[in-house]
Amino acid sequence: MKQILLLEDLPEIRVWLKTLALQVFPGAQISEASRIHDALELVNAVRFDVAMVDLGLPDGSGVEVVQALREKQPDVQSVVVTIHDDDDHLFPALQAGAFGYLLKEQSREQLAEQLHRISQGEPPLSPSIARRVIQYFTAQARQQPQLQPDTVTPHVQLTDRENEVLLRVAKGFTLPEIGQQLNLSRHTIADYVKQIYRKLNVSSRAEAALEAQRLGLFRR
Amino acid sequence: MTEPDTDGEPSSGTVGAPASQTRRLWLLLGLGLIMALVVAYVMVALNRETVRLSHPSTIVAAMSSSGEAVQSLGQAWVVRSNDNQFPTGQAGHLATLPDEWSKSQSGYQGAIWYRFHFDAKTLPAPDQIMAILIERACSNVEVQLNGQLLYRGGRMTEPYARNCYRSHVVTLPTHMLREHDNQLDLKIVGYPINRVTARQRAGGLAAVRVGPLQEIRELYEEQEFWTMTVSQVLGGILAVLGVFALGLAWVRRLDYLLYFGLLTIGWSMMTGRMWLSDVLVPNAGVEVLIAMMFAPMTAFAIKFLLGYAGQSMGAVNRGARRRQLNAVLWAQCVLLPISLLLAGADRLFIGARIWYVLFAFELFVTIGFFLWVAGKNKRTEFWLMSAALGVVSAVLGIELTYQSGLVRMWGVHVTHFVMPLLYAAVAVRLIQVYARALQTAEGARKQLEKRVQEISGEIERNFNQIAELRVEQIAEKERKRIAADLHDDLGAKLLTIVHTSDNDRISTLAREALEEMRLSVRGLTGRPMVLSDALADWRAEVVSRLGQAGIECEWRNPNDVIEEPLSSRTYVQTTRILREAVSNVIKHSGASHVVISAEVHLDHHDFVLVIQDNGKGIPLELDGRLDRGHGMTSMKHRAKQLSGQCLVESGPGFGTVIRLTLPLEIATMQQVLPTAMSGSSGAASMRNIARGH
Repeated sequence: MKQILLLEDLPEIRVWLKTLALQVFPGAQISEASRIHDALELVNAVRFDVAMVDLGLPDGSGVEVVQALREKQPDVQSVVVTIHDDDDHLFPALQAGAFGYLLKEQSREQLAEQLHRISQGEPPLSPSIARRVIQYFTAQARQQPQLQPDTVTPHVQLTDRENEVLLRVAKGFTLPEIGQQLNLSRHTIADYVKQIYRKLNVSSRAEAALEAQRLGLFRR
Repeated sequence: MTEPDTDGEPSSGTVGAPASQTRRLWLLLGLGLIMALVVAYVMVALNRETVRLSHPSTIVAAMSSSGEAVQSLGQAWVVRSNDNQFPTGQAGHLATLPDEWSKSQSGYQGAIWYRFHFDAKTLPAPDQIMAILIERACSNVEVQLNGQLLYRGGRMTEPYARNCYRSHVVTLPTHMLREHDNQLDLKIVGYPINRVTARQRAGGLAAVRVGPLQEIRELYEEQEFWTMTVSQVLGGILAVLGVFALGLAWVRRLDYLLYFGLLTIGWSMMTGRMWLSDVLVPNAGVEVLIAMMFAPMTAFAIKFLLGYAGQSMGAVNRGARRRQLNAVLWAQCVLLPISLLLAGADRLFIGARIWYVLFAFELFVTIGFFLWVAGKNKRTEFWLMSAALGVVSAVLGIELTYQSGLVRMWGVHVTHFVMPLLYAAVAVRLIQVYARALQTAEGARKQLEKRVQEISGEIERNFNQIAELRVEQIAEKERKRIAADLHDDLGAKLLTIVHTSDNDRISTLAREALEEMRLSVRGLTGRPMVLSDALADWRAEVVSRLGQAGIECEWRNPNDVIEEPLSSRTYVQTTRILREAVSNVIKHSGASHVVISAEVHLDHHDFVLVIQDNGKGIPLELDGRLDRGHGMTSMKHRAKQLSGQCLVESGPGFGTVIRLTLPLEIATMQQVLPTAMSGSSGAASMRNIARGH
């Protein structure tokens, strides 16, 4: 039985999302929250398998909850459920450790399909997100030589294949298309995308830690 | 403050330089001439004095050579007595004039009678009215001819009238003159040298000359002119100069001008000692008063020279050293009268002399320091100042030696008119410096005004630019706020409708509205993007949508990356057109295959999207136009809004071809791109603005 965290401030949508979640994960135990504060308490109390997190909430951004989950329950699959489709909103959530995102206005079938795929380890990746990821890692690579060699976290780099997939997504190819082009299975492509998300998160956290270290918040 | 010494350099005023240089040349020439005259006169005067003093008997020769009918009475019978008549019975002695009491009557205070004998007929011009000229009788004189009182210079009792700096002319009435053996009695009252502070005021009698009134008066007036009139006139000029300097000092906040003003005013006040003859104050008091004037004068002179030197020196006389110096100078002012009073009335002269030597020493040191500084800094007035200060030193030296009794001078007081002349020269120089500074300041002010104008123009321009930037920033912020509001409010409501409506049509409409809204928001807040990225986004969306609908899709893209910019508005509108077209294909065409090709024509500045399906085509309406229900109108309208066009070809059996041609916005976007970017580039452009000037 799955434990699911559902964070959404609009009651109707919350109800709707709950049914969606129950449709995808039959018999799941769903903990509902309408505010970040409540969600963070739940994170401390319950072990979740999946978290569906809205971004725009009355007391802040759902990114906080994603981050808390990433730190306290690294195995949980955080899915951002939002009406913001632009990378400005999504990218920080992905950096914080979200494993995928759902656009709320889609039909129940589409959402169910996507949620199912995400839970199966096939997160979506849009061209604009892919471009942001490329930009991010390019900037990291450029910054890298300036960092001290004794940093605790190793430098995170994308493999050639991951880069290849990213570039193709950025050019507008869909994941199945890329699979065909590279003669790879759907699962392998999905694994690459997962790796890209994971590395984005790890690198972002390392960057944050480094920043904290630079500010003297940590002792080496 | 403007450094006055640099203004003559060629780097400054391009127009005024030659004019000011010639003017300075003339000024220097004039001052040099005055200086030369003064020095020449001093030398001649000194020479004449020495000749006269060393050879008293040559007077007649000098007279005959000059053709003057004036005779010098060089010898007199001298008797000490306070009587009202010449004390015939008392012992006396024969003395040669000039008779300095400091030598002949040491320590004596009171009256001394001098008796001259002369025959009227031996006089050079016996038929004229005769008179005598007493060049110097210190402190006062009374004249009797043949026992008759003729003349009295002032009060003959203590405190005596102070006439040391004056000459006297006494007419000898013709009826009182005898043919033979006229007795001319002069009663002189005076103070011994130890009771005065300057040798000039020690008791004594200089030569007495007798001759025709006319010529005696001329002689008198000549001497009076040099000793009294000149010094009085100069004193007046000095007072004016001093006031002027004080005013300048006040206006310009210049210390050295203040001291110079005080110095000149002080000097002009001190000239009063020469013509204030009747003072009802005991002699010692007056003497101490006069002597104590020299202490502040020295202080002013030193402060002036140091200040004037320090103007280009900066740090040398500052802080503790300056305070020490001030303390010493002011202490002198207090100590001098105290020490003289303590020394007592009988030791005034020696006391004053010690002080004067000290002051002179201080002045010499200061002058040396000033010249050293001025020479080191190569100041333009170095030669002028060294000449002036050289004369000052010379005059000080002469005065000191005279006071010590090493040199004798009668009648002529070099100091009294040389010093004021020097003051005047220095004052002229100071005023010139001020005038030039004023000129420079005026030039600088004009330049400044011009610069201010330029800068304010620049500021205005920058301000406008900044205002534009700011407006853009505010607009951006406002757009973001509106976008957030739309998302949070309208978005949430539409979303609720999407997911709660039982009616499929309503929820579809709401979903479409939501998508529309999101695109609008994107159009509001979006940044311009590169055409390649836009094509990628469109491709991903179209391919996945058609794929979900089970329609085969072929997307033909140009292979190379196209960096042409695309405004968010064009992006959003094109997205809408494309979505509409794809929706039509999915909903109405019944096509199984769609080919979408994108072409960029850089030479025509446009890009073309062609959507071709193999569906059943759009049925023509009766009026020959394509079905409005398929959204063709709005697609065309949107394309038109972007200055592009949307052509639809359709016919039963061969599907539909939608050809969308839109202009590339190279020219307009290149202006938009730099400013529309994020904060860092905004700051960079700000820096460019700042650096540009």
